Amino acid sequence: MVVRNWVLDYEGKLGELSRIMKPLEPYKDEITVLANLTHNNGRALLDGAGDHGRCCGSYLTGVQPKKSAVDIHCGISTDQIVANKIGSQTRFPSLEVGMEDARQAGDCDSGYSCAYTNNLAWRDERQPLPPILDPRALFERLFGKGASLSPEARARQSKFRKSILDFVTEDTKKLQGDLGPTDRRKLDEYMSSIREIERQLEKAESDNAHINPGMPKPYGVPADFSEHFKLMTDMLTVALQSDMTRVFTFLVTREGTSRSYREIGIPDGHHPLTHHRNEPALMEKVTQINTYHVKQFAAWIEKLKSTQEGDGSLLDNSMIVYGAGLCDGNKHNHEDLPTIIAGRGGNLIKPGYRRVYRRETPMTNLHLTMMDRMGVHVDNFGDSTGRVTGLDLA
Amino acid sequence: MQFPGNFKPPVGIIFDSDMGNRIDTVLAMALLYGLDGKNEARVVSISVSKANLKSAALSEVIGRFYAGAVNGGFAAIGRNLPVGMAEDGPAKGDTPLFSVLDKKDEKGAAVYQHGIHSLVDTAEVPALFRNAMTSQQDGNAIVLLCGPATNLANSIGLPNVKDLIKSKVRYLVISGGAFPGIDPAAAKKLLAEWPGQIVFAPAELGAALPYPGASIDKDFTWATAPHPVVDAYRAYKAMPYDAPSWDMTAVLYAIRPKENYFKLSEPGTLSVSSDGKARFTPSPNGLHKQLIADPAQREKVIQAFVELASAKPVVRQFRFRNQKKAADPAKPADVKPKP
Repeated sequence: MVVRNWVLDYEGKLGELSRIMKPLEPYKDEITVLANLTHNNGRALLDGAGDHGRCCGSYLTGVQPKKSAVDIHCGISTDQIVANKIGSQTRFPSLEVGMEDARQAGDCDSGYSCAYTNNLAWRDERQPLPPILDPRALFERLFGKGASLSPEARARQSKFRKSILDFVTEDTKKLQGDLGPTDRRKLDEYMSSIREIERQLEKAESDNAHINPGMPKPYGVPADFSEHFKLMTDMLTVALQSDMTRVFTFLVTREGTSRSYREIGIPDGHHPLTHHRNEPALMEKVTQINTYHVKQFAAWIEKLKSTQEGDGSLLDNSMIVYGAGLCDGNKHNHEDLPTIIAGRGGNLIKPGYRRVYRRETPMTNLHLTMMDRMGVHVDNFGDSTGRVTGLDLA
Repeated sequence: MQFPGNFKPPVGIIFDSDMGNRIDTVLAMALLYGLDGKNEARVVSISVSKANLKSAALSEVIGRFYAGAVNGGFAAIGRNLPVGMAEDGPAKGDTPLFSVLDKKDEKGAAVYQHGIHSLVDTAEVPALFRNAMTSQQDGNAIVLLCGPATNLANSIGLPNVKDLIKSKVRYLVISGGAFPGIDPAAAKKLLAEWPGQIVFAPAELGAALPYPGASIDKDFTWATAPHPVVDAYRAYKAMPYDAPSWDMTAVLYAIRPKENYFKLSEPGTLSVSSDGKARFTPSPNGLHKQLIADPAQREKVIQAFVELASAKPVVRQFRFRNQKKAADPAKPADVKPKP
């Protein structure tokens, strides 16, 4: 982010937005801009270089990732804490979505595993949840491979899958009496997985029957950033609208991305440009990329706002954090992270303001506050020191 | 922020004070940065328990005067942390020392620049205190308390902070200048819960070792531009006067414990008596010790005060980034290809 073109110089009611935020001008009453939130565990502390690996690994977990390319160790992410609590109410406890193909193994930043740079969501300290990158794969995950089939054909397909599960279940039960304790535990874990699949299928049957994706099945990954973003967010919108899930993470670009943006006339890689050494021409290109990203986000806000839900809109009932793991890409600093919340969280957030917190306020204080709004109450999370204030309606 | 490789840096100093109430706190910061300039310590955290923006601003002015002299690369390592400030508390009123902030040049512009204009320009202290410790190597931090215990008492309640103190902090040194002072409840909590060693510099020690006021006119003449410590000394009260060195004794012992500037008591327990005063009770298993004046060292101590507090800011180059790597003995020497 080119900070000088992002940051606002006032606190309180949103007035004129900065150049990068300009696409959000029509939605000023729907967003909250937050300032001074910090991820101390993204900083080097004693681990040397690797800000990209750390900032992504710590972004939703609040812990400092272990510096290793093979022995990964991070922490459960805030989305998964919420998913563990309320995920059983929806078909997908959570969805993990991304846009940039990247390997999951090896060293991606100064000794930090690619698992840290390429995943936002972590089921636990050792298990990242890789995002779905291909729109077609996301479509099939949400609506099934036979989404283009008639409802009757989909029901037949589902029944066939279920009968296979019944067969597997019967077969394994017979084994149980002949096994020792260790194998019995393994079998129990296996049976639990089967039961989880059954549960998902049952929910899918009840959900899928009336869900219209409202779009044809995508063919693959579009080369154009905005087209890809739109496809992914269109499907996320349907997933939220149809209550397939209430929790998602969306890794728009990965840390250290070398993606170029030829569609807006920038053939250079994004990450190399961010090390602009304050050269105006390079800063201008980064600003244009930053603004382009916000423009896509604004288009999604428009879609969520125009999607009716109850007496309001889908946006009214959402809290979507738009942010970055580093503040100034040229400095690699982890304080005053660019952060916007879109939506009213079901009338639990009063948008339309810029809230400035005291310096060093942990980003995890925001995570705790958002978990509260989701009905998930946790005393501490990561390096939190409390809750953030100023989001309330009162 | 990038951290350039593994090296053993000088001990990190976490400095908490009630800046503005006494001149010895200003002198203590000058002394601290004098030691920092000699690479004997690094200031890694500055916070104030006086809930007054001018207290934080004066701390920042002094910090910028000294640390601003180092280059950008060095500043990136722990020098861009903000000043922490207690959000609320007693004795938050203005003092004569704050007039330094109002000093103008001949064009009417402020002589001393700072970035503290509202509460959000300061840091919440528990997070700052914890974060400063997380970036120190084990046993390579010292906490200096030169004011009421308000901030430290609030900070030790954060999850994991006591474990961090145990692993990172050599000891806590408390100046008797304003301790227990206006917040005896915080002092009691701190003494009861601090999980490591404490060294107390009692008020009578600083009273017996006054900083010579004549030094202000004599030893700072190198400063061709305004000097915040000189201006503060003159603003505190009418010259000439010698100043008790309460906070300076704590700083000097904390960073140079082996110089024998002071005698050290046997172990004991520091507590807060019913009349709100600090009381030291010897006990063999106590984790606390007390500094005792050594008349034989009086001149040496005052000389150290003057030399270090009046030292010029040191312009240091960032010595780590371009440091040559040591040759790997297991690796054969480079052989140039034959033409």
